[in-house]
Amino acid sequence: MLAVLCEEPSQWRHGYALAKQTGLKSGTLYPILIRLADRGLVEACWQEEPQPGRPRRHLYRLTAAGLASATGALASAAAPPARPGARAARTGRDVVAPVVSGLSRGAARAGPWAG
Amino acid sequence: MGRLSRAAAAAGRGAARLVPAGRRDWAEAIWAEAYEVPSGLRRLAWLAGGVQVIAREALTARRIGRWLLFAAAAAWMAWATWPGSPGRFATGTARVDVVTIVLLLAGLPWLARWFLGPASNGRLARFLRVGGYAAVLALTVTKARVWRFEDAHGGFSPPHSFAWFVEIVFLVVTAGYVAAVLAVTAQRSRVAPATLAIGTGTGIALGVVMYAVAPLGLAHDATEPWLAGSAIDPVVALAWILLLGGPVAAGGAAARRYRGPGSPRELSNAKLWQGAAAGFLATGVGALIVTVLGTGTVALMPRAAWLRHWLYPGQHLLAAVVSNRELAASSSTQTYGLIMVTFPVIGLLLGIVSINAAISSGPSPGGGGPPGPDPVPDPPDGGRLASAGAGTGGPAAGLPGWSEEGPDSEHGEVLADVTGGAGLPAGMR
Repeated sequence: MLAVLCEEPSQWRHGYALAKQTGLKSGTLYPILIRLADRGLVEACWQEEPQPGRPRRHLYRLTAAGLASATGALASAAAPPARPGARAARTGRDVVAPVVSGLSRGAARAGPWAG
Repeated sequence: MGRLSRAAAAAGRGAARLVPAGRRDWAEAIWAEAYEVPSGLRRLAWLAGGVQVIAREALTARRIGRWLLFAAAAAWMAWATWPGSPGRFATGTARVDVVTIVLLLAGLPWLARWFLGPASNGRLARFLRVGGYAAVLALTVTKARVWRFEDAHGGFSPPHSFAWFVEIVFLVVTAGYVAAVLAVTAQRSRVAPATLAIGTGTGIALGVVMYAVAPLGLAHDATEPWLAGSAIDPVVALAWILLLGGPVAAGGAAARRYRGPGSPRELSNAKLWQGAAAGFLATGVGALIVTVLGTGTVALMPRAAWLRHWLYPGQHLLAAVVSNRELAASSSTQTYGLIMVTFPVIGLLLGIVSINAAISSGPSPGGGGPPGPDPVPDPPDGGRLASAGAGTGGPAAGLPGWSEEGPDSEHGEVLADVTGGAGLPAGMR
């Protein structure tokens, strides 16, 4: 998901688009987005002009702090495993959870004074 | 969109209201996005994920648990109180009690939430709410049992005007106690957590000691059945000390522990408020405890021989004597009504008078001990960050030893930034 959000960081994404690109279900995707938004790494807004007959959609993109943290966290996640025979990730959650933790640690180090 | 999906979407929009305000956008977002998901199983799976998110964010399990517990307790109260001969006066008042008390306990929290916000997250506040509710439910049952016993022995004669007056007073006073419990335990309550702890602790001690003095009410025939003669004297003395001295001591302690921002005049007023609240809590909690225990004892007497042996140790009472004592005890429960009405007023007045006297006579009630540092200018933001929890609890509310230390120094303001407005607990200063 972070890789998807990092591709075009200034572009707003819909939740279903993120779910299709990441393979995550709504029950997994939205709690992750909520946690990232709580930490100031993702910002959200409502669509200004919804399609007629349909409700407004919620849009998401990385903040500046989120982009900086995501770049670093993705680089760490892409590094080879520390020991041989490490088990490969099997689900999206196995990939995302450590990245979210890394983002959280990065945000904590940056503190409330990060831009 | 299929019929099932439309129904699920409508249910989800309603369920989004269960979620705290800060999360409602997310719940609505999941449901709005469902329109973009192809209809069929994929959309239902999307909505199922939304239900999962709402359940997690709304703490639904905890809320459902609370409501189930309340429903079970109310059902027990109704089961214990409702049955009886329809023609009897006590049956009628018991059924009025059941309906009114359930409506009060279910409805007053909504009103309290409107004015004072939801319940405080502190452990003591939750304990006080649960304890208050349990006491009111138990009191309704015991009062109904006592009245039923009296009615069966000719205690109520037509036209029952005075009895209905007493019934209305009982309901009004009970509503007042429920409202007071909700008010002092709400998030926006001005009663500080330390005041809550001091007042409640003093009240529990007062209630238990008063019950020990007179477990069957204050009527002459029922007084001191289990501590005969001079053995009761120290307990009576302790009860008077707690009744008159308890609110004064509680008020002084609460005022001394309170720290808050503002001018000396504002601080004095705030300390006065805490002192009054502590005194009110001390006697109010004591009155509720002694009333519930006392009426419960009286209600159990006719059917529990072990209780009569405990109350009258070593006495071999004839059946006629037992019956007379049970009737006397039932009649004497009216004094508990007087206790419930007058005790909170006594505590409130004593709390106010003691703090007022301390303020008038010398330094502020919190000024004991060596002189403190020179006062510093107010911080630029008016101390908003670090005083976010002052007087209302804040994130550390309910922790032992926590007192509301507002920012009276630049150091305190920096600490408040780091700790999110909580400052340092008292023991770490």
